[in-house]
Amino acid sequence: MAISWAKRACPVLGFGKRGVKLGAIKPPPHKLESLRSRIMPTPLPERLVLSLQQHQGDASIPCVEVGDKVLKFQAIAEANSESSLNLHAPTSGTILSVDQSLVFSDSMTPEACIVLECDGADNALKVSTTRDYRALEHEHLLQRIEEAGVCGMGGAGYPTALKLRHGISKNIDLLLINAAECEPYISCDEALLRERAKEVIQGAEIIQAACLANSCQLVIESNMNEAIDALRSEITGSSVQLKIVAPSYPAGDERQIVFAATGRETPSSGLPIDIGVVVVNAGTAAACLHAVSKGQPCISRVVTLAGSPLRTPKNFDVPIGTPISHLQTLCGMDEQSHQGTLAGGSLMGQPVLNLDLPIKKTSNCVVAMSAQEFPAQEPVLPCIRCGYCADACPAHLLPQQLLVFSKQQAVEALEDHGLFDCIECGACAYVCPSKIPLLQYYRSSKELMLLEAGVTARSSHWQQRFQYFQYRRKRVNQQRAEGKQSASDNSQQVEQEFSRDKAREEIAAAVARVKSKKSKNQAS
Amino acid sequence: MNSSSSPFQFAKLKTRQLMLLVLAAASPAVLMHTWFFGYGMLLNIALAAVIGLSSEAVCLWLQNKPIKVALSDYSALVTALLFAVTIPPGTAWWLIAMGMVFAIALVKHAYGGLGHNVFNPAMAGYLFLLLAFPLSMTAWHLPQAAVTPASDHSPLSWTGFIESLSFVFPIIQNQTIDIDGLAMATPLIEYKMAGQNAVLEAYREGLPLFSRSSGTGWELVNMAYLIGGLFLLSLRIISWHIPVAIIASVLMMSLLFYSDGGSSVNGTPYLHLFGSATMIGAFFIATDPVSAATSNPARIVYGIIIGCSIYGIRVWGSYLDSIAIAVLFANFCAPMLDHFFRPRIFGQVRWSPLRGQTSHE
Ligand code: SF4
Ligand code: SF4
Repeated sequence: MAISWAKRACPVLGFGKRGVKLGAIKPPPHKLESLRSRIMPTPLPERLVLSLQQHQGDASIPCVEVGDKVLKFQAIAEANSESSLNLHAPTSGTILSVDQSLVFSDSMTPEACIVLECDGADNALKVSTTRDYRALEHEHLLQRIEEAGVCGMGGAGYPTALKLRHGISKNIDLLLINAAECEPYISCDEALLRERAKEVIQGAEIIQAACLANSCQLVIESNMNEAIDALRSEITGSSVQLKIVAPSYPAGDERQIVFAATGRETPSSGLPIDIGVVVVNAGTAAACLHAVSKGQPCISRVVTLAGSPLRTPKNFDVPIGTPISHLQTLCGMDEQSHQGTLAGGSLMGQPVLNLDLPIKKTSNCVVAMSAQEFPAQEPVLPCIRCGYCADACPAHLLPQQLLVFSKQQAVEALEDHGLFDCIECGACAYVCPSKIPLLQYYRSSKELMLLEAGVTARSSHWQQRFQYFQYRRKRVNQQRAEGKQSASDNSQQVEQEFSRDKAREEIAAAVARVKSKKSKNQAS
Repeated sequence: MNSSSSPFQFAKLKTRQLMLLVLAAASPAVLMHTWFFGYGMLLNIALAAVIGLSSEAVCLWLQNKPIKVALSDYSALVTALLFAVTIPPGTAWWLIAMGMVFAIALVKHAYGGLGHNVFNPAMAGYLFLLLAFPLSMTAWHLPQAAVTPASDHSPLSWTGFIESLSFVFPIIQNQTIDIDGLAMATPLIEYKMAGQNAVLEAYREGLPLFSRSSGTGWELVNMAYLIGGLFLLSLRIISWHIPVAIIASVLMMSLLFYSDGGSSVNGTPYLHLFGSATMIGAFFIATDPVSAATSNPARIVYGIIIGCSIYGIRVWGSYLDSIAIAVLFANFCAPMLDHFFRPRIFGQVRWSPLRGQTSHE
């Protein structure tokens, strides 16, 4: 009796299935709710809002103007540099605005967005399909992927073509398709594999050909039974191998999955490509298939709508730019029990303050929170140095020591104890019996240390946004001065004017200005 | 949901439940002790708990800290329990009070309260009494029935209770009891004080010297601690590193220095493991997380230090049961161990025990 009580009391610390494995936790899963139904198509909302920062890297530059009529698949923004991404219209309609500014929860900096009013006709641009993708050159494949604006759909959003190019330059030998979806609420990859296993496998073959990897493994957690069955029946005859790993959190982290599949440890200051592995998310693989064989750019993705306030949680095939509130309404949201919403899962997600925020290429899940599932936080007690956090930490850090040093702001000790090896998975805070918000301490310490080191990653990011805004404003003023009423007639000309080179020049000039101002300030 | 950043989902285990599970795991052994030796230990625990909680409340009040939250983490109860089972049953109330107030007010709260104390409060309280009142800390006052196996009423009877009570509160003493005559110690103390061979002989043959029934009283109590400890281990409330290191090193030491017969007998491994407080020390006392080493490699070294010093102090030192000194000594080393013995960070190449990690360069 005592044991069963204790097992219920401490799901992470119990036996067997729920037991803790070193360097991981096993939170109770919540995937079944959203996996009850199949992936549903999304009825179009009135408007789509497409951020120019769908990905990690430089923002895209719009190539349409207010009032333009666009067709589905038509490019509306172009890559501005190597690390940037093309963006396409998910449906046909009219451009309402090209510089609406929104603050997303993952970056906390304003991002420029294009607003597209859907006309409901869903008229598509003609795209060229490819019968036999196997016959294509790898450079050709990469180009297709690049043009289609595919980025990592697992969350990080690194431009896929760029990642594969890096892989080629490092002579990678193994491609891992990451389908180990370890967050308790997220089920979009599982749903995708269950219903479209073939697409993922073909996509994996394309990526393998594109990055010249010798072998390809699809890594999946052993509890995704239906997905595994679907894969098994499709995988015969393909070069992709199935690799089944034990379910635990954070198995889907890049370093963890590489370790689980190959036993190789990614060096702490490096990336998986440094040890010859490229990791690509399963959803990305499907997007690559669409890009190459159907010629369709990346305009939609599968998103999990989860949480107990939803009457029917499910997975949707969502056009990029659909507002979260639209999806939640489709699931029948109970406003009374709804206490807040998370973008991403319950362990790594961020709170969504504005439900009108749109889905991005990187959004995998939206969790509506209720007070029952997410009870108010317990009072924080002092750290009793029980070491549960250290046992749970996938990076093998000592979170309890990092906590002490964070409180003391002991910068050197923090670095010596590997603060920058922390992947911010939150496993430590999850297990802590004293309910200490450990990760919050680490985040603020990291920020502090980066600030001191002058590496203000965020602020440089922000600066870029700001310069873009300045550019836009100048353009609009100019147009007004020239007495242009509608930009749509001469969009051609405007587009030309707003060429990449020009934008880059202006930004460079702005950066130089800011720099000289700064140095002046410092000098004075 | 008050927090503004991830994670948003948490394990249900709380510090309070963790402490309760520790209490639950120790309770079979306490009950068994009561069964064999009378109510002395229960009275110890009750008194220590009351004094522990009230001195904690006073300390919190003096520091203007919220009393209810801190009291409900039950850490004071665990301290009280560990203190009460370490001191001899039937210790007078004022000794218990002094020890507990010392443990809670000085060792725990003067260092900043739960989580900040450097030393194990229960053991520091015990050591304080041992240094100040060595005689009272080695004499075990037991009811008549527990000492004289032949007597026909059990130590659990009403008379036994009154007798135990009268040791704790000498004021209600009745004339029939002669306190000095009833002093008794653990087998190990007995063993060290009396002629070594005679006791060893008696112990081997299972003579009814150590408890009322057969000679197995102490062993059974220690077995109960072992089982309680395994229960905690199986739930991963405690990690295996400290208990395993302690038991292994005590075993190693006693095997290494064991010589059969002769005048230099240092006690059998069995006597060292089950004839004294090794089990409770390994599973309950040394695993007190706050004052122990906190990373797993450091915990192993920590356990080895404790195990070796337990044996060393017992055999060559002048104190008798040595858990408290060994644990406090290891507490002293813990911060240094935590500094030097760290797990190798995932993805970092070198691990050297004497200089934590390779740097990032
Ligand atoms: S889990 Fe919490 S209480 Fe335990 S050592 Fe880590 S931070 Fe401290
Ligand atoms: S958040 Fe960082 S310190 Fe905590 S478990 Fe994850 S990697 Fe370890």
